[in-house]
Amino acid sequence: MRLKRISSIYLSLAAVVLLSFSCKPDPTDTMPAFDKSELLNNIANNIIVPALNDFEADLNSLESSFIAFQANPTQLNLDIVREDWKAAYIQWQMVKIFDFGPIRDNGFKGSTGTYPTDSTQVNTNISNGSYVLGSVDNVDAIGFSALDYLLYRTNALSDLTTNSNYSQYTLDVIQKMKSEFATVNAQWVSYKSTFIASTGTETTSAFSLLVNEFNRDYELAKNAKLGIPLGKQSLDIQLPEYIEARHSGISLELLQENMRALRIVYLGDNTSSGQGFYNYLIQLERSTLAENINSRFGQIINKIETFNGSLEEEMVVNVSELNTLYSLIEGQVINIKTDMTSAFGVLITYQDNDGD
Amino acid sequence: MMGINVTKYLSPFKEVSIAPLIVFRIIFGALMFLGTLRFISKGWIEQLYIAPKHYFGYLGFEWVKPFEGDLIYLPFILLLISSVFIILGLFYRVSAFTFFLCFTYVELLDKSNYLNHYYFVSLMALIMVFLPANKNLSLDIKIWPKLKSIVTKQWTINLIKFQLAMVYIFAGIAKLNSDWLFDAQPLKVWLQAHHNIPLVGSLMQEEWLAYIFSWTGCLYDLFIVFFLLSNRFRPFAYFFVVFFHIVTWYLFPIGVFPWVMIFSTLIFFSVQFHERILDALSRTNWRVNSITQYESSSNKRKLIFTLLSIYIAVQLLVPFRYILYPGDLFWNEEGFRFSWRVMLMHKEGHATFYLVDPKTGRESEIDNSDFLTQTQEDQMATQPDMILQYAQIIKTHYDGKTLHYGNHTFLIENPEIRAKIYVSLNGRPSQLFVDKNHDLTQLKYNLYHRTWIEPFKK
Repeated sequence: MRLKRISSIYLSLAAVVLLSFSCKPDPTDTMPAFDKSELLNNIANNIIVPALNDFEADLNSLESSFIAFQANPTQLNLDIVREDWKAAYIQWQMVKIFDFGPIRDNGFKGSTGTYPTDSTQVNTNISNGSYVLGSVDNVDAIGFSALDYLLYRTNALSDLTTNSNYSQYTLDVIQKMKSEFATVNAQWVSYKSTFIASTGTETTSAFSLLVNEFNRDYELAKNAKLGIPLGKQSLDIQLPEYIEARHSGISLELLQENMRALRIVYLGDNTSSGQGFYNYLIQLERSTLAENINSRFGQIINKIETFNGSLEEEMVVNVSELNTLYSLIEGQVINIKTDMTSAFGVLITYQDNDGD
Repeated sequence: MMGINVTKYLSPFKEVSIAPLIVFRIIFGALMFLGTLRFISKGWIEQLYIAPKHYFGYLGFEWVKPFEGDLIYLPFILLLISSVFIILGLFYRVSAFTFFLCFTYVELLDKSNYLNHYYFVSLMALIMVFLPANKNLSLDIKIWPKLKSIVTKQWTINLIKFQLAMVYIFAGIAKLNSDWLFDAQPLKVWLQAHHNIPLVGSLMQEEWLAYIFSWTGCLYDLFIVFFLLSNRFRPFAYFFVVFFHIVTWYLFPIGVFPWVMIFSTLIFFSVQFHERILDALSRTNWRVNSITQYESSSNKRKLIFTLLSIYIAVQLLVPFRYILYPGDLFWNEEGFRFSWRVMLMHKEGHATFYLVDPKTGRESEIDNSDFLTQTQEDQMATQPDMILQYAQIIKTHYDGKTLHYGNHTFLIENPEIRAKIYVSLNGRPSQLFVDKNHDLTQLKYNLYHRTWIEPFKK
């Protein structure tokens, strides 16, 4: 008969719990519940797919302008090639965030965005005249970074004009990117529905992948685009040889575009207003965090605007301001990696392991 | 209480039917076989015991290292073989001991992979070594017919019940904290992430549901054992066991643990229930030709009684050792493991480590992925003892090395390792966890209270 007492205690406890919380006004009643599938839908349709299509168009323009340049190698035509290369490289800052699905399966991020380039390997390939660009040896001799070297190095115009191997190698690098990306983009057509439908919480779900890659890309930008050249991993000894796009000098612009792209994903907002991580945080009643992340992105983007020279030039004359920029970027890591992801209940891991 | 005759359990040497023990042996063996198979098939041996460059050993057990390369598969193969032998009751005690040894060896390799249910399995395997679970329906009695018995001492079955009770009751006690009860955390965070599941998805963002889950989970853990012990309420309680564990299995990545509990708790069922299972398994009547267990000497009884008392005392005290430490248990994690704190908190951290050259005062940020796997890094960032171990890993790597950067050369001797670590606990905004002003290599890894952890602000 003691059980009766226990079960009645149990029941009354449960009733107290129920009552006490049904009395409390629920702030979520007033706003529409957040829906992860809407977020995925928005990111896929309004951000990823347009970005992929723009990038494909950019690579096509780059190829055709380079072929036009080969037919008529003038400084003016080289400048057009450079502009097209830069436009594609800037668009890449958005595309590279989505390193899952077809981009991951095709190893496209590595083959396109690895820097710094190995100029010795590039020159060996050119003088040999034969090479397999997809081989392991050539990982550092392809992609945007190799083109930075090929299009902007001293005497690039005369080398491209007189050295047919050099010119052919440049075209091969461009065409490799173009054809590989055509595969990626074609696969995204069918992957899109998989991505949108994958709303679970497991580490392989689209939402987890998106959050993880968002964080990874952010940290990559922090370290590779700024920290390593500044000497943050080399006892404060600057390493200009690690600067991205060193020959063209556009690395700060790329960093800024990278941050802009991450902010667009964060806000879920490209041209139309859509659901992003920001909206999810608002729904979770973490508006302070939501606004902090957004305004920090703004501060970072504005800070980069204040630099007039290239990163290499600024590293000589303006180290303290670059350190300020680095601190701004570093501070955001905690916001997005620790606070945002823990609010989402997403595990930052690539391993499907048991927890308890 | 509840119709449970308490005195019934206080005579450890009373003879009772051996059937529940035999059934438990078969269930345990089968679960362990399937669990090991699952572990291997997921590729976790490669991921957890071959790929890492460094391992986080337990205090006093740092000498336990993984076998080189593919040799690490050996303990897992032995686990498979010994679990089959346990099912069959073949060379039972050797098999149970082999299983215990291999399983515990693997668990001791890296605390990044610590799970309460692995600890449970280790303990259970150790207990099994001492239980006469091969005295019926086994190949051992075919080899040694004299072993056969239809009875066993009551303690052999009650010890299993005790161990299960420890898991539940301490898991319940651990939930008696304000985050769990009054903020429904971390369940609020975990449940809302499921808002896209079919049918009930829309409920998952409701705050009241997180409270219901928290309170029900807590009460379930605290009291389920008592209901399982009661003849009258057992079927009802077991329904709850199945329901509760299937829900947790569906919602959370807890692997085989729900199944281990669902099947292990059958031990609470009546003798008749287990005898029916054995009847079905043995085809013939398993009771025939049986020899009753010999009376053990009073000296042996004294020894068993002493060992049992020690084991029970240790099990009762270890989860409470956290009381010896000041500060917040979830934040400092002093006395946290081996205490059945299951699915209790959500901790997320970000750790930046620095190598400081004492000669020049220059510092480098460490890329954690150069040393650790993603899982190791995640675990390390929130657990103080692992933070100290990692600092030693970095120090050992750089000490005595000459580093070349550009035209500069640095001979690193006795480097300082510092860290700036932020941690978010149960959905709170993150706070500073470790300040950069400590040279972590100077701090000892021991069981004393760690004053270098920043205090937790609620």
